[in-house]
Amino acid sequence: MTSRILVVDDDTALAEMIGIVLRTEGFEPVFCADGAKAVEEWRAQRPDLVLLDLMLPGMDGIEICTRIRSESGVPIIMLTARSDTADVVRGLEVGADDYIVKPFNPKELVARIRTRLRPTPQSTTEALRIVDLVIDVDAHEVRRGSEPIALTPLEFQLLVALASKPQQVFSREMLLEQVWGYHYKADTRLVNVHVQRLRAKVELDPDNPRIVTTVRGVGYRAGSAG
Amino acid sequence: MPPLASVAPRAALVRDWRGWPASFATLWRRSLRFRTLLATLALTSVAVLVTCGAMALAIQNNLWEARKDQALDDAQRAVTDVQKTLASAEVQGDRAALQRLMRNALGSVSSSTMIATFRIDDSPSDVAPSDFFLGGLSKDLLSDQLVKRVSDSPEQQWWQPFAIAGPDGQQHAGIVVGHQITIPEAGAYGLYIAYDLADTEQTLLLVQSSLWVAGTILVGIIGVIAWFAVRSVVLPIVEASETSARFAEGDFAVRLPVRGEDELATLGRSFNAMADSIEAQIKELGELSMVQQRFVSDVSHELRTPLTTIRLAAEMLNDQRETFDPATARAAELLHAQVERFDTLLADLLEISRYDAGSVQLEKEPTSLAHLAEELVDEMTPLAANHDTELRFVAPGGHTPVEMDPRRVRRILRNLVGNAIEHGEGNPVVVTVDSNQHAVAVGVRDAGMGMAPADAERVFDRFWRADPSRRRTIGGTGLGLSIALGDARLHGGTLGVWSEAGVGTNFVLTLPRDAAGVSGPSPIPLEPQEALADIGAVTEPIPLATAPRRLPSDAAADGDRGEGAERGDDRGEERG
Repeated sequence: MTSRILVVDDDTALAEMIGIVLRTEGFEPVFCADGAKAVEEWRAQRPDLVLLDLMLPGMDGIEICTRIRSESGVPIIMLTARSDTADVVRGLEVGADDYIVKPFNPKELVARIRTRLRPTPQSTTEALRIVDLVIDVDAHEVRRGSEPIALTPLEFQLLVALASKPQQVFSREMLLEQVWGYHYKADTRLVNVHVQRLRAKVELDPDNPRIVTTVRGVGYRAGSAG
Repeated sequence: MPPLASVAPRAALVRDWRGWPASFATLWRRSLRFRTLLATLALTSVAVLVTCGAMALAIQNNLWEARKDQALDDAQRAVTDVQKTLASAEVQGDRAALQRLMRNALGSVSSSTMIATFRIDDSPSDVAPSDFFLGGLSKDLLSDQLVKRVSDSPEQQWWQPFAIAGPDGQQHAGIVVGHQITIPEAGAYGLYIAYDLADTEQTLLLVQSSLWVAGTILVGIIGVIAWFAVRSVVLPIVEASETSARFAEGDFAVRLPVRGEDELATLGRSFNAMADSIEAQIKELGELSMVQQRFVSDVSHELRTPLTTIRLAAEMLNDQRETFDPATARAAELLHAQVERFDTLLADLLEISRYDAGSVQLEKEPTSLAHLAEELVDEMTPLAANHDTELRFVAPGGHTPVEMDPRRVRRILRNLVGNAIEHGEGNPVVVTVDSNQHAVAVGVRDAGMGMAPADAERVFDRFWRADPSRRRTIGGTGLGLSIALGDARLHGGTLGVWSEAGVGTNFVLTLPRDAAGVSGPSPIPLEPQEALADIGAVTEPIPLATAPRRLPSDAAADGDRGEGAERGDDRGEERG
């Protein structure tokens, strides 16, 4: 099964080049150069992943990301020309899973895409339990009692990574490697922002988290200590 | 030490007292107002003193003179009257009648009641009346000189200042006038009349005190006038100087208030015109600089999208170069390498433009510099091995986390270590981490070709190269050290370099423990203290587990040099 990837970028040369790279790697790229039509195009194509330029004519990437996220948990990777501006954080906050800074090399791009498309590692055991949540790894489902909680694949992966070893404290670097596939020092804001998003969905009181707790100076863990 | 404490207040007082001349001198030197006022007061005082003194003297003289003349006239008249009365009297041989007559005559002739007569002739006489004294004037109050003179010269009037005891026992100024009279049959008598000058003295005192009071008031008034006059000049000057100072500090919006059309207003107007001109120029320069920074930033951003395309393409071509003929394959390889270089250059340029625009934000988190440096040394070891260079790591301190932006610090270190490997000529490169109570520091030292001190001063300049012909093997855009310095300063830290041609180079990055900035010496001296070969022969730092027990906890292990004494104690205990 070839994965379909929607490339939203107004620079046609770059879009085409990304297309060539993706095709070489066995993906099926589809394109959209107009921000205003991106969401429509996404609905029509139902891609497995979206590569989204942040600076677009018509509608900016943040807005597109927000709209797509309101309908789907599809992986979104932002393409950005800026590495340290508020844009990146805003993009992550509205639900982009990852970002890649221009100019990137094809291996980096493909590695990022593959990580996001990688299926959740199959859990051999039955459902994971953490505080009052039940995580059915095979069914990709999280429930509190009988009520299902909708998570994006990334958030699900993050929760599973934490819940599968409830006694362990995960540093941000460890989570970056396990969930985002970074093998080198990367931006820990990715972890911070997505933990916040995850908490907003799974915690009863996000300001006073019980499921994903912060271990000061180290990182995060599932449940509370002891 | 309690005695010291009790002495202290008095000592302070004495010190204060001793300080007065100094503070007076300071005030004199610093304050135009004080100086002018003091000078005005001093000069006015002298002038008033002299004027009043002269006036008082003149008044005194005139008063005395007038009163004396009056007294002399009065005495003269009295003498004449008495003489006349005596001459016309018919009291031959009757001593008692003569005595009575004389007493009567004398009692009414003068305005003064203090009258005395005594006989000058000492030839015995039956009729000569006895000496008599009226109003408290006695013979022993008169000086011998006066008596002698009066006795000697029959026609002359003599006078002498005289102290009269008033009714209240107080001494008054007075004058006593003496003259001879001749009593028929009895011979020459000295007639003395004393005049009380208390009223004149009173007048004089009143006049003098009025003079002094008026003088003092005059000095006071002049002082106040001088104060206001000086103030009206000095205040605008003070205002102008304060405004200039604020302007110098960068508040370009300040202006002097302009009142009226006098000289001070002119000063204000000139100052304001200057300020307007400077402000306009600075604004213009600022705008130009901002436009330029924006331009660099925009260009860098705009270049990124096409560069991404080029990079993707170059990468693809490079991956497939085996399928090309050799020349095309080499071209693809070159293209790939140069695009990479271009990419780095652009990234560095963008970073520099961010510093210039002041838009860099640190993302600080508590980080152990020793751990960070150790990880980096591990990361760089393969590169060092490629250059046949040994990378050593020594960390006597710097283990406790300190607030820093780890990505930036790592970038600085990567740059320094890369440089050291490139210029180290295969000699070992030593990375040292240490700390004191104010700062943590990391030093990167090589024993390569080094540089002349003049060159070492320029290593942080953009695009600067010690030797333009020197081959570059490890990336490097010529911006790395500028960026490293920018990062260090952003942390409130310092990045120093020591280099000597033929000996080697040492870079030391010092980061403050708190936001206060680096104070005092860096934990690692810039100039190497020991030969490179002697340090860090062991690559690994001493693991904490086997570290001597004198480090009671991890907190102490981070090497606060300030607690050396405490450590010494610990060691002492151990030995004991």
